[in-house]
Amino acid sequence: MGGKEATVVGRDSGIAVRDLSVASDGRWAIRGLTFAARAGSLQLILGERDTGKTALLETIAGLRAPSKGAVLVGGEEAPPAARRRALALIPREAPIRQLRVLERLLLHDTPRAAKVGIQWKQGREEARALAARVGLDALLDVPYEALRPVERKLIEVAAAVRQRPAALLLDEPTADLGPHEARHFLAILHRILGEEKIPGVLATTWPRDAFPEGSSVSILWRNADPATLSLDGMTESALVERWTGGLDIRRAPSGPHAPGDVLLRVEGLILHGRGRETSLAGVDFDAAAGEVLAIVGAPADGLDLLHDALLGNRRPDQGSIHFLGKEIAKAPRRVRVESGMTFVNPPIARDQSVDEFTVEENLILGQTHVPPFARKGFLRPESVRGNCLRALEDFEIVGATPKTRLRDLSLGQRQRLIVAREVIHNPRLLVVRSPGQGLSLDAQEYVRRTLILQCERGSGLLWLTDEPEEAMRVADRLAVLTLGKFVWLPVTETLTREAIIAEMSGAAA
Amino acid sequence: MIPGRCRAGKREILANALVLLALIGGTHALGVGVLDLNPSRWTAPWTGDVVLVGAGLLFLGVAFLMPLHGGMINLGIHAEFLAGYSVGAIIVRGGVFGPGLQAGLGLVAGAAVGALVGFGIAALRQKFAVHEILSGLLGAALFVPLARALSVDRMAPPALAIDFPALTQPLKWAPGLSLAPGVVLAWGILLLALSMVVAVLFAHFLRATVSGFEVRASGANPLAAAAIGTDVEGIQRSMMALGGACAGVTGALQLWTSPAVALERWPFPLGFAGIAVALLGLGSLRGAAIAAFVLAAWLNTPYVAHVLGQPGYGAGAAALLLLPALWILPRTFPDFGAPRAVWRTRHREG
Repeated sequence: MGGKEATVVGRDSGIAVRDLSVASDGRWAIRGLTFAARAGSLQLILGERDTGKTALLETIAGLRAPSKGAVLVGGEEAPPAARRRALALIPREAPIRQLRVLERLLLHDTPRAAKVGIQWKQGREEARALAARVGLDALLDVPYEALRPVERKLIEVAAAVRQRPAALLLDEPTADLGPHEARHFLAILHRILGEEKIPGVLATTWPRDAFPEGSSVSILWRNADPATLSLDGMTESALVERWTGGLDIRRAPSGPHAPGDVLLRVEGLILHGRGRETSLAGVDFDAAAGEVLAIVGAPADGLDLLHDALLGNRRPDQGSIHFLGKEIAKAPRRVRVESGMTFVNPPIARDQSVDEFTVEENLILGQTHVPPFARKGFLRPESVRGNCLRALEDFEIVGATPKTRLRDLSLGQRQRLIVAREVIHNPRLLVVRSPGQGLSLDAQEYVRRTLILQCERGSGLLWLTDEPEEAMRVADRLAVLTLGKFVWLPVTETLTREAIIAEMSGAAA
Repeated sequence: MIPGRCRAGKREILANALVLLALIGGTHALGVGVLDLNPSRWTAPWTGDVVLVGAGLLFLGVAFLMPLHGGMINLGIHAEFLAGYSVGAIIVRGGVFGPGLQAGLGLVAGAAVGALVGFGIAALRQKFAVHEILSGLLGAALFVPLARALSVDRMAPPALAIDFPALTQPLKWAPGLSLAPGVVLAWGILLLALSMVVAVLFAHFLRATVSGFEVRASGANPLAAAAIGTDVEGIQRSMMALGGACAGVTGALQLWTSPAVALERWPFPLGFAGIAVALLGLGSLRGAAIAAFVLAAWLNTPYVAHVLGQPGYGAGAAALLLLPALWILPRTFPDFGAPRAVWRTRHREG
């Protein structure tokens, strides 16, 4: 992998980086990156987590000093201060949430009356015109935090355009979007870039974001030099192949599994969404031992709500959740775990590990109330250590010791540890949510394989994801969550990603 | 190993050492410049105060560290301290009991009232979203006039007097210190032992018990702790109450012991001394013990009373003592703020 392939720099307009190196935490994050994006085009920065995408965007925006290299705006080298004024960076998480959409759109340049008051009438007209460009002019008075993720991203784009930037820089805007939402967002982004005649630079972990309208892509690897490729004539699978170096990530599971006893039964589940989130409108399903039930949906289309209900974070408004015949809809997570249900969340989830704890402490998180890790209120260090050594060996977690702090491990190693913790005691049912999201592709495959193996040992596996391909790869049965309800799709050779996306977006109806 | 609560490294240790060096060296330099170097001055302040002042500072340090391990900043420490002082003063004013019983009751009541104040601060945050820093500071402002109004002269000689004949002469192992006749030293040693026992027991609790594991998890990542079924709010209330008890008992102690004279040299409200002790100790119990005794020794060095008595120098010393908050506090809360900032995607990293 690696190697520079393009050396084109900026021409009359647009943005370009030339031989740019960015260091992060004393390591080389990016070495010798070169690319150019013309006005109206979109340059993608593709890379796994921790490859320096955010650092690169911050460097281009003038917020961080490069180790070497130059950034050209409009064909001329621009110093950091000029770039800070000229470029608009949209971070992954919006920093301000307690505003109405109207206020958010006017935040950086509010129309003034006598330099002190606010001209709300004029401001509203300006905000309405901006919001109309992204199709959200009906939402001016909605609280920003009540918006769906895709709407928030579009509002951020509209607000950035108001600053008349020379280029838009976007940090993983599609990370929390379902595939149909990502398409919608990218289509509008391309249109706005064209209308404004400015380039865009978009960091992402999804190769799909490069199609159909991306112009070129720069790939960042953790231990190799970056490469810039033209997307002319390139297919998505060819890009994945180039990115992964031929890793066989399309491996099929070991075959359909024969379902055993029903473990989990959900009936008539209704849960009202927050803000403009789609509510769950009566969901019914069973999950059985020895099978993988995959549920695909966009986070804001009810997947987050269903996950919260299963985790015990939210109580359903109506309906029941029975686990092993026992009603658990109102039970806390500890009761669920002690009954044999365990959870694996996305690697970046904040609620499944403690970064400041050691590896051995993280491996007993949530299991200290039962033997063998505690007795009479005291921890048993020998059991804790033994459990850790066994997990490190069985799950091939290289470079970690029982006393290593979790924060010193890579994201992939952390997720392996969490998977190890959850499967090592043979749970009855595993509820997993996008367990490989953002990981390196081989780490994704390892996590996936480990979970499937646990299913083959007899555990039930309920797999929630917003990525159709992932669901197709693991599912014995597959349901699409659309408009708060399930649409069941047969898992056959003819099932395609496009068919699932069509169901997710409601287009199939 | 005594658990620490921050991610400080060598740079922070060096910075704290430099602060202490500047404090001690600066006081000495200023004192020498103002007063004649008279060796007789060295003997006067060196009494058993060092021990008792160290114990008091350690209690206050522990009062700040206990809630810190549970994920709360106990800026109500001065309110808890004053509450303990006030209730002790009420008992003295009542005059119902003999001096010995007054002393014992005062300490117990001080601890209880301090715990109540700590518990209240935590409850205010959890029930009414009043941040513990705000309620803590307002609480201190509330108790200041009350403590002044109730203030009584200290018991002299200390009410906790026990006559240890062996200690009536300067100790053979420390003749230069000219330690005072045993009362202060004896009780100082007992209280020192108590403060050390509290610190060590708490460290053991954190390291070896299931509940201590949950306290540390609550402080390090409340989301993860709540996800495994830990009662994070209950733990935080308990830690604030325990910390309040330690601060309250230190407040009550001021009525019963002459070392209050030495502690009065402290350049800012005494309850907040716990913050300086804890942060100079890098957020760990072991570090707090070291810091408490270094500061106690500093308070008893020559010239301190004179130097800190001048407003400008006192302000400088206060600034130096609180300086470690700049580099230690941000390291004690790696997740601070993020859980509240993330609403819609609260299970994801911000």
